[in-house]
Amino acid sequence: MRAMIRFGKQPRLRFISHLDLQRFFQRALNRTGLPIAYSQGFNPHPILSFGSALALGWTSEYEIIDVKLSVPMGRKRTEEAMRAALPVDLPVLEVRLVDDRHPAPMAMVRASDYTIELSGETAQATLDAVETFLAREQVPAMRKTKSGEREVDIRPMAIALQRTENGLDARLKLTEKDTLKPDLLIRSLAELAGVEPPEAKIHRRCLLGEDESGALKPLMEL
Amino acid sequence: MTLSDRIEALFMSVQKPARYMGGEFNSVMKNPEEVDVRFAFLFPDTYEVGMSHLGMKILYHTINRRADAWCERVFSPWVDMAQLMRENEIPLFSLESRTPVAEFDLLGVTLQYEMSFTNILDALDMAGLPLRAADRREGPFVIVGGPCAFNPEPLAPFVDLVAIGDGEEETHQVIDCYKAWKQSGAPREAFLREAAKIRGIYVPSLYDVEYHEDGTVASVSPKPGSGAPEVVYKAMVSDLTSADYPEKLIVPYNEVVHNRIMLEIFRGCTRGCRFCQAGMIYRPVRERSMEKLLEMAEKLVNATGYDEISLMSLSSGDYSCLPELAHRMVEKYAQRRVKISLPSQRIDNVLTDTLKETQRVRKTALTLAPEAGTQRLRDVINKGVTENDLMRSVSDAFEQGWSAVKLYFMLGLPTETDEDVLGIADLAEKVRRCYFAVPKERRAPGLRITVSASVFVPKNFTPFQWAAQLDQESVIRRQQMLKEALRRIKGVDFKYHAPDVSYIEAVFARGDRRLADALEAAYRAGCRFDGWSDQFRYDLWLKAFEETGVNPDFYACRERPADELLPWDHLDCGVTKAFLRREWEKAQREECTHDCRKGCVGCGVNRYEEAKACGR
Repeated sequence: MRAMIRFGKQPRLRFISHLDLQRFFQRALNRTGLPIAYSQGFNPHPILSFGSALALGWTSEYEIIDVKLSVPMGRKRTEEAMRAALPVDLPVLEVRLVDDRHPAPMAMVRASDYTIELSGETAQATLDAVETFLAREQVPAMRKTKSGEREVDIRPMAIALQRTENGLDARLKLTEKDTLKPDLLIRSLAELAGVEPPEAKIHRRCLLGEDESGALKPLMEL
Repeated sequence: MTLSDRIEALFMSVQKPARYMGGEFNSVMKNPEEVDVRFAFLFPDTYEVGMSHLGMKILYHTINRRADAWCERVFSPWVDMAQLMRENEIPLFSLESRTPVAEFDLLGVTLQYEMSFTNILDALDMAGLPLRAADRREGPFVIVGGPCAFNPEPLAPFVDLVAIGDGEEETHQVIDCYKAWKQSGAPREAFLREAAKIRGIYVPSLYDVEYHEDGTVASVSPKPGSGAPEVVYKAMVSDLTSADYPEKLIVPYNEVVHNRIMLEIFRGCTRGCRFCQAGMIYRPVRERSMEKLLEMAEKLVNATGYDEISLMSLSSGDYSCLPELAHRMVEKYAQRRVKISLPSQRIDNVLTDTLKETQRVRKTALTLAPEAGTQRLRDVINKGVTENDLMRSVSDAFEQGWSAVKLYFMLGLPTETDEDVLGIADLAEKVRRCYFAVPKERRAPGLRITVSASVFVPKNFTPFQWAAQLDQESVIRRQQMLKEALRRIKGVDFKYHAPDVSYIEAVFARGDRRLADALEAAYRAGCRFDGWSDQFRYDLWLKAFEETGVNPDFYACRERPADELLPWDHLDCGVTKAFLRREWEKAQREECTHDCRKGCVGCGVNRYEEAKACGR
């Protein structure tokens, strides 16, 4: 049995790196007293995986840790044990128990919803570029990869963009092949507007996967 | 923007922002409206170093157990953050609530190391407080404690109170005293005079110091009418089993130096190594009961999720039930994948059984500290171990599958000769032979011997407090000689440092109040994080001494005569000056003093009510 736990990352802890968070969870899981399954071998480690790494400085209400349990547990008890083991700034938001055959969260992710707040002198101009962006068939941008920079067309990776009062809501592709991160989107919008990128507060609202019909649905509901 | 927002705005521009973040699991949040006393605990070094320190954990816990007080942590911002904070006019702040330090009632500072003194001045300055206590008409009282508080004289003008000895009870007395003073509305001086009545509290501003023409101290005496005691006796916890100990520990998000459960199994040491300040000032030995330790371990494992417990003390092998304790802990926690480790192993009683126990869960380098290369010099320093002890320990370890050994030594010990220095290389060679004496099929491959030689710094309240530190030229010559000798031995790695930091450390370890100006001058010239080799500026220090008319050799390299009044003689660390003097004389005669578990050696600590059973 596996427990899929959705948790949030509040502003105070948004500067913990993904690597530090992984190490943090090893200890946090020890504190839960839950029967965590360990790998075999010389140096056993808990069997766990994460949804999708969140960049330093971003907040979230849709982080997922997926933990294998060696003994079946009740959902409520799992949730309570997790809550007691995590600080208030990493709140437990949802727990779902799934079968071992359930696909790993990382393998299910197709897209992510973000709320982006912009501030500074160039915020308005950047937002005004959203229409231009959407009207274009292609928007080339330089994306950093492991092997250097590469030009990619980010237009199809922006599934939906919606302006809000002081920013925008964005649904962006998040797959192994095609990933558009909100900071790159903002840089591109600013470039279209011919201004310096504004300051951005980025918050992940949801991780999405595809159901049998190919429609995007929140990961925890799949 | 709130202060918190302004702080966070810097996080993307500094290394390791988690240092300044707070919000760790088990950190304590309270409502400031509901407490009477806000206590800022400053560790004057980085977060990673400070969060590895046991004393801070104990005091943080014991203060926060009170409903009427809130203790928050403060660390020295690393140079990148400090610069940005100054540029953006962000004052030094606490981690928990991000409150400016100047708004606290008490600012406690732990003095672990002389080379952190400039960081204390930097912290006061970043907090927006005047450096000198006499200039502070408002803001927190500054109270220092920890091992270096046993000679606080170089810091005297900067601090309000000095707490010497064990802090578990003393800290509460200070907080109670502060509360009463705050309610009374009396002037600041009234608090100092009241606090001076607390056992273990020394108020430097209530004392006058006079000097002889030759620069030595003529007298230190309480100001007339101040009510301050002639001699300040250290605070002492009589029973460690009932003493307060954290049931929860803060679990940092980033990796800190010692990221594990620390279990203090006893305090004090009976060995009597003559160079060791901790071995003198933490007397007498007080053990925690095994049952209590097991209970503490269980609570801490559950509360932190750590997978390692370190059994802490000055000489863990001396714990009276160590084999049983180690055995029971290993049994209990192997299933839960919690490792048990024993730091500061001594070569004369590393029990083979214990080694077997610990290796079941972990096998790192065996660390041994012979301290000196020849038996003669080990007798001088009263390191009661022989070459046979050492060889037996390493042979056992190699038999058990260890292949890495770290050997710690000091250079420049009193009476040291070239023969003693070369004796270090001999020992390393003998360790190497021990390894090859183990049949190939039984030993682990890849022998590694690390020889580490630090520079001896004479400390106050040790038998070597009268000794001169070896001059730097001689230190360098001996280091090079040893390096040459070790080069001929295969598989040995030699580690040593430039002696200039140790020289400054020696100046302050036995300094007096006249060093305060030099300290301030060095700080104003840019010295801070002096314990970090990439930050240490020897040139600035020498300039500061020159500008303030201080001859550093007077403090570091001068042997003191028997009748000299020492700058810390008005403090009582438990052990008497007469005992230390006897030990100094025996050292020069190359005579050992036995471990006082085998019979009282008359150190004087049983003059204390709390220790009156000691030695009887």
